[in-house]
Amino acid sequence: MSRDAGPPFEERFLETFSNAVGVSGGEETVRAAVVEAVQDHVDSLEVDAMGSLVARIAATGRRRGPHVMLCAHMDEVGVMVTGIESDGRLRFRKVGGIDSRILVGQVFRIGKNGLRGVAGTLPPHLISRADRDKVAAIEDLYLDIGAKSREEAQGRVAVGDYATFDTTYERWGDTRKGKAFDDRAGCAVLASVVLRRPPVPVTAVWSVQEEVGLRGAAGAARRVAPDLAVVLEGTASGEAPGLAPEESAPLMGAGPALTVQDRSLMADARLVDLIERTARRRKIPTQWKRPGVGGTDAGRIALSGAGVPAAVISVPCRYIHAPAAYLDIRDARRTVALVWHLLHSLTKEWP
Amino acid sequence: MKSLAGSVDDLLPSLLSAFGPPGRESGVRAVLRRALRGLGRVTEDATGNLHLHRPGKGPRLLVAAPMDAPGVIVTRVDATGLARVAILGNRSPAELVGAALRFEDDARGILGCDRPKSGKNGTEMEADQLFLETGLGPKEANRRFRVGSVGAIEDRPIRLGDLWCASNLDNRAGCAAVVAALRAAGSPRYDLHVIFSAQSDAGARGAVTGAFGVDPEAAVVVDVAHVDPKETGGAAVGKGPCLGLKESGFLAHPEALALVKRAAAGAGVSTQWLIRESEGSDARAIRAARTGVPTALVAIPARRSGGPVSFVHARDIAQTASLMARLLTTPPKSKGGRR
Repeated sequence: MSRDAGPPFEERFLETFSNAVGVSGGEETVRAAVVEAVQDHVDSLEVDAMGSLVARIAATGRRRGPHVMLCAHMDEVGVMVTGIESDGRLRFRKVGGIDSRILVGQVFRIGKNGLRGVAGTLPPHLISRADRDKVAAIEDLYLDIGAKSREEAQGRVAVGDYATFDTTYERWGDTRKGKAFDDRAGCAVLASVVLRRPPVPVTAVWSVQEEVGLRGAAGAARRVAPDLAVVLEGTASGEAPGLAPEESAPLMGAGPALTVQDRSLMADARLVDLIERTARRRKIPTQWKRPGVGGTDAGRIALSGAGVPAAVISVPCRYIHAPAAYLDIRDARRTVALVWHLLHSLTKEWP
Repeated sequence: MKSLAGSVDDLLPSLLSAFGPPGRESGVRAVLRRALRGLGRVTEDATGNLHLHRPGKGPRLLVAAPMDAPGVIVTRVDATGLARVAILGNRSPAELVGAALRFEDDARGILGCDRPKSGKNGTEMEADQLFLETGLGPKEANRRFRVGSVGAIEDRPIRLGDLWCASNLDNRAGCAAVVAALRAAGSPRYDLHVIFSAQSDAGARGAVTGAFGVDPEAAVVVDVAHVDPKETGGAAVGKGPCLGLKESGFLAHPEALALVKRAAAGAGVSTQWLIRESEGSDARAIRAARTGVPTALVAIPARRSGGPVSFVHARDIAQTASLMARLLTTPPKSKGGRR
């Protein structure tokens, strides 16, 4: 076992990526930030037809091993402007899975210029008692940018503009707060890993349109045609008052979460075993993600070509798909370390 | 052709009781490997498909039979030692109540259900109402069962007259029919690839990667279909193999269907039509593989019990085997190119 502790987690990447806006289908800003972060450290960098960023990194000198695809998705859930009313208010629709209950009253950043707008609602004084506990249908919601007419609004926004939560990254002890940790946490872990030359050939993919149906990774995997794939995610941690730990798992701060199964994937058993063994050898705590829920790019990658062994390693995050998520910075560091040591394990322990 | 009933009856019990939930098909793969000895080169792919190749001069034909069967995966073990599960595969929670389970390490359990709340009946159950009774104390239960432990239905097939009564008939009956056909077929008139597909019950995943790997010129899927006179074109158990015309995302390819019909006529097997709206077999995935594959579906009719067990007529399995054996030994009419 080498003494190499692996590359550090680059928190500046997480901050930059989290603050960048990149709703599914509009990932340009995030992609530019990733390019900026990794371009001097990879052997080639290209953008595929879907918009995914594909970086190839040859292995260090004499080591040999399988060609590994590491993948994290750049897109985040958000909304899209679908119409402008005569009174200047904006109609919108969700992009990706957002709970309707959290939309009302949120401040959004709209369009390329980050114009602010509020998902408007009446104050409680003006809502009938009967309507107070109801969740507004998305058709009844609007974004208010303070414009007084359609003409005034049209000068500032356009139909098709994306909008996302207006949230800025913050540090509180080991906790980090920010938007879009699903999956900017994975994007930052991946960018941190590729700053150092790996022991096996790696193709890093920052994929697009994961939140609207795992679309980007499928095409990328066909082109990359890896021997195996590991998807890096920010996954839902389920702590809530009154729930026992086993009902809440995975827990924030308890280490990277490993997937056995989700709705998109049966993780490759040998690969999961190797990840688990690697973590044990390196004394990195891990936990199991709850089976039966969610889906990731790994599901699509596993079905590409004649099939690819695939697994998922996730940073547990509270409150994903919502205005502000939390993660524990130690989990992000452990995830980088686990991925790095896994690449080393693969040089010897993969057929 | 002589009946393949004996051959099927020999194969089926060990296939039914083999371990093989979607993505964890090790047990059924081992049983099939033994059954396929001497029939061709057998390999396993990244998705878990078992692939048999029997080189020949004719067109490249893919025969696909799903081999996985429903199971459960443990989602948590609580402080009292009861485990909660999610379902692997295409079964409703109600159909699994009372099922006996065996896990990969041979641990065992029985699935029960929490008393349905507010008068809801069993068909409206959610998966998280299922619990796994392990018979173990909290400490031992937490040692033997962890999040991600996979359990299979421990099938104890019963033969009532000509009726097989078992949990894993879908699609171990199809696997038995294909193996019996291969044994009876001698030298096929095709460059034959057989895939016993993995993860079929999780959305035809093995068929997606298997068909891509084989890149066939034509394909026949052999599966079990649960029939219901009102919903599946009048097909009934005991009346012969069903030829699939339509299911969700799949329409039979005319030339592939003609191939199957000709084989049925040649084998003296009467068939019935299968038309269903539900998402069914691997046929949909294979039909759409690469640039498209002319695909037919042969389905053994089964009847549901509403619980873990289904019913399949032994003659339907044997006739499916005869049909497939005939198909493999009949030369294709023309060079069946892609459509």
